[in-house]
Amino acid sequence: MKIGLDLGSRYVKAVFMEDGRLVDYRCYDTLAFYREYGRKVDGELVVDYERLGWPTGAAITSTGYGRNLVKLAGGQVIPELRAHTRGAIFQTGLSDFTLLDLGGQDSKVIKVAGGRMVDFRTNDKCAASSGRYLENMAAVLAMDVAALGECRDEPVELSSTCAVFGESELIGQIIEGHPIEHLAAGVNRTIVKRVEPMLRELYSPVVVFTGGVARNQAIRAMLEDALPVQVILPAYPQLNGAIGCAV
Amino acid sequence: MADKIGLTTTIPVEIVYAAGKIPVDLNNLFITCDAPGRLVDRAEQAGYPRNICGWIKGLYTTLLEQESLRQVIAVTQGDCSNTHALMETWQVAGVAVIPFAFPYDRDADLLRLQMEKLMQLLGADWEAVGRWKKRLDQVRKKAHEIDRLTWEAGVVDGQTNHLALVGCSDFNGDPDAYEAYLDGIIAEAARNSTQGLAGDRQAVRLAYVGVPPIVSDLYSYVESMGARVVFNEVQRQFAMPFDEDDIIEQYRRYTYPYSIFDRIDDINREVARRRVDGIIHYTQSFCYRQIEDIILRQRTAVPVLTLEGDRPGPLDARSRMRIDAFLDMLAR
Repeated sequence: MKIGLDLGSRYVKAVFMEDGRLVDYRCYDTLAFYREYGRKVDGELVVDYERLGWPTGAAITSTGYGRNLVKLAGGQVIPELRAHTRGAIFQTGLSDFTLLDLGGQDSKVIKVAGGRMVDFRTNDKCAASSGRYLENMAAVLAMDVAALGECRDEPVELSSTCAVFGESELIGQIIEGHPIEHLAAGVNRTIVKRVEPMLRELYSPVVVFTGGVARNQAIRAMLEDALPVQVILPAYPQLNGAIGCAV
Repeated sequence: MADKIGLTTTIPVEIVYAAGKIPVDLNNLFITCDAPGRLVDRAEQAGYPRNICGWIKGLYTTLLEQESLRQVIAVTQGDCSNTHALMETWQVAGVAVIPFAFPYDRDADLLRLQMEKLMQLLGADWEAVGRWKKRLDQVRKKAHEIDRLTWEAGVVDGQTNHLALVGCSDFNGDPDAYEAYLDGIIAEAARNSTQGLAGDRQAVRLAYVGVPPIVSDLYSYVESMGARVVFNEVQRQFAMPFDEDDIIEQYRRYTYPYSIFDRIDDINREVARRRVDGIIHYTQSFCYRQIEDIILRQRTAVPVLTLEGDRPGPLDARSRMRIDAFLDMLAR
């Protein structure tokens, strides 16, 4: 049994793999995970496996946003982008593609050629193309994130500069009287505009889309409209990093 | 005691010494003080926008808090144009500002004119400037030797290299003491060398290009991850790495204030010579040099990681993640 653990900014994802097969997985809210199951001893994160109900004696490999902040006691740690690359190769069986991972707080674009990461871009400071941005914007529009992910027609033009500016801009557009669906489509469109330059720079005809935002079908369709690419959604987009740890 | 005079970046410092004054590079003063973040906060309290480079804000407060500094040479062309407004806010606070412009097209006549005006203003002549050039070149030679000991012999680490070179903008106001400091590094390197303490020859070899970092732990972090910085681009330029007798030519060959293309030629030459595996291009948030990153990426032969820094302090988790990924990619 191998456990792969992705310590993300919004969720901690754990996958349990046996003989190269995914047998189980869990997702925890990041804050709750650290609060309820973890404590820091000499700079290392000690996780209470018993309380988590995880199988004992399994090899644990972790990665993720928390990787630099905490080292998991008794576990191996691998760089985040390596984990995502490995996860995508494992899940798709492809060796030449561009990986687009849109997570809770950040975006990553990784060019994979011959089964190796050859270049990458990540957003720097701003969370404007992330899941957190979509959650905030959905809240402003009083709709849930899943419903927002279905809106792609007649997108209202919104700036793609910054998540915080975006919110006040969106409120301004609501007052203008645009239909909610068009505003939601505009929100999805800003994500595409943010990642489009990175995908052009690290272009491959196949884009493997992972992270929580990959569940947004409007963004997937808009990506295929904006660029000559085929967007592939692996079976477990959100677990991709954790899977990459366990393979 | 001689008058001190502030600098916003490297200028022909021979002129300042020849005029009997002590140059003080405000950047070094700012970043080595106890709490550089507080200086940035104070500039913001004075009304500097949040979306302006942290170096500019740090320089603003640094100068105002140094009572011995009531005169500054500010580079109005060849560095950041935010300097113009920086100068103006200093002027309002009663500081005497002396502008200096590096001509964008590296025109020798215009550069000479700029230097002569500065000499006239400070009270220096060509004879004394020539004498100081010879003296400073002796000190610079030691900085160049430290640079060689970094990339060729592998017995000086990237951070020590950075500090030794970056300080050549003003020689800490005391070239004799600075020379002794450099001698100390060379002696230490010789000891390391005889004890076989050269750095890991298998380590990933990095170039650091762009302005010196505002973050405090970039070098130590990179080296803790098993890589070595063997080229500090702009810092090396501050140490005038040319065997050039003519002072006008020296400041024409100095790449930093001119176009990105001159810098890229220098970078590519050194990347090849020093067998560099990858480049870290550091830029400040909100800096025009983030645009130049486009060109740099197109014209260099090895992979580039662009890092962005905003305020003083340690690297944030995202930057560390990106460095990890970059080194992981290069090592494989």
